[in-house]
Amino acid sequence: MSTAVKNQLRVCLLSVKYNIMREMVNKVTFLTNISFMILNNASILVQWFILFRLREDVGGYTFREIMMLWGLTAASYGLSHILFARAFSLPELVIKGKLDAYLVQPKNVLISVITSSIRISAIGDLLYGIILMAFCRLGLREWILAALFLVTGTVVFTAFSLLLGSLSFWFLRMDILENQTVMGMVSFATYPDGIFQGLSRFLLYFIIPVGMAVWHPVHVLARFDAGMLLTVLGYTALLAGSSVAVFYRGLKRYASGNLMGART
Amino acid sequence: MQAIKVEHLSKTFRVKRKEKGMKGSIKAILHPQTEEIRAVKDVSFVVEEGEVLAFIGPNGAGKSTTIKMLTGILYPDGGCAKVLGMDPTKKRRQLAYGIGTVFGQKEQLWTHLTPYDNFRFFGAIYDLSEKETEIRIDELSNRFGLGDFINTPVRNLSLGQRIRCEIVASLLHRPKVLFLDEPTIGLDPVVKETVRELIRQMNREEHTTIFLTSHDVGDIEKLCRRIIIVNDGQIVLDDSVEHLKHHYPDHSLEEIITEIYKAKELTAVG
Repeated sequence: MSTAVKNQLRVCLLSVKYNIMREMVNKVTFLTNISFMILNNASILVQWFILFRLREDVGGYTFREIMMLWGLTAASYGLSHILFARAFSLPELVIKGKLDAYLVQPKNVLISVITSSIRISAIGDLLYGIILMAFCRLGLREWILAALFLVTGTVVFTAFSLLLGSLSFWFLRMDILENQTVMGMVSFATYPDGIFQGLSRFLLYFIIPVGMAVWHPVHVLARFDAGMLLTVLGYTALLAGSSVAVFYRGLKRYASGNLMGART
Repeated sequence: MQAIKVEHLSKTFRVKRKEKGMKGSIKAILHPQTEEIRAVKDVSFVVEEGEVLAFIGPNGAGKSTTIKMLTGILYPDGGCAKVLGMDPTKKRRQLAYGIGTVFGQKEQLWTHLTPYDNFRFFGAIYDLSEKETEIRIDELSNRFGLGDFINTPVRNLSLGQRIRCEIVASLLHRPKVLFLDEPTIGLDPVVKETVRELIRQMNREEHTTIFLTSHDVGDIEKLCRRIIIVNDGQIVLDDSVEHLKHHYPDHSLEEIITEIYKAKELTAVG
């Protein structure tokens, strides 16, 4: 590993560590945020449990697959909001001209920006996701695949949000579209893909990439399919590359501002 | 040796315009109109290594835009700039190791963390080892008198204490050029004097080139040997402070600067 990469990694880890330290200043809020997020997620799974007592499968999914779906969605969403939370609020920084602090530092701007914040309730999402996966009684190979899909899912959530957020360099109020689309993506991700057909299915696989973030991975976990695995890996790399390219293209249009509260 | 060289630098912003009221909003959707604002127009100057330069002008004159182009934050539309021999748009990251920035009205520190934790983070940003960072924190903490509050969260510090910490954070990596954008704004006279003395000391001992913008004439009189005045995006004066005072012996520096600002406004109106 080159020194530059090592140094960048050191800054990223320090950034995440300090983000958590900042949130831990208020112990009560820190702990309640995490535990209530776990409870909130768990309450919805109860509905699924009741539904599966009435039917054997929903949209081609068994209860175990629904648990995998929820587990992977919660863990990917959680990890993306622990490591790269600022990617989900990029339009605010762009519109208010708050990228200056990152541009005067000798580190990668994009990585510095997206790792500069944390959503603390996301720790609850990540823990909940891991607990659910543990209940699915995965074998060693499935655990390795689940870890890989946690990484791809995190990248897909982050890159998709970054891509939409980067459009703020050209258009105002992209935060509305970005928020609604990402929240829509999370909502769709908690339903089996079998209930979506035709155009909506196409959109949910390729335009709002729910399919690549969680549906394909759950199918691979339930029944291994090398083609699907490669599709997920290829799509993730393509989406990540596109979002980074759009961000840097937009950065040249950055107009700065008179505010510079980078990590207030 | 030249620390900064600027040749014919220009920057234009495109701003949306709309007529008043709801009618204007609807019209703006159907026929969007934009206006070009030339924030910096054909600016050229050179700053020598170790020089302390005041780069001043009224609000909206183009000072901050120029600083942002020199630090790689903004891309110029025309001309070119070299800071420490590097083009900020092409070698932004490399240049960042050689420069420091302090913005009096803006925060670069994490407000919920202590200055000490902040300095450790900045040390990592500039690739200093843990040992180097500790030595430098000790050295600067003694020089800037941070001992009493180095472990107090930044949000609980007074403005004067925070500014001192901001300056220390920008000096950890021993920058060759320091950009100070209104570093004494909002400070009381005693703290202002302390900050000025520290800047002077840094320039003297580390031979740091200082590029200062300020509306406080005291900063300029006590720190700078040379003054550049910009107005409406153009340089209207580039002279030594001593020379200015010599030419206008019966006026204070504040009066001279005010007169220059007014003269330019009259020219613009005329």
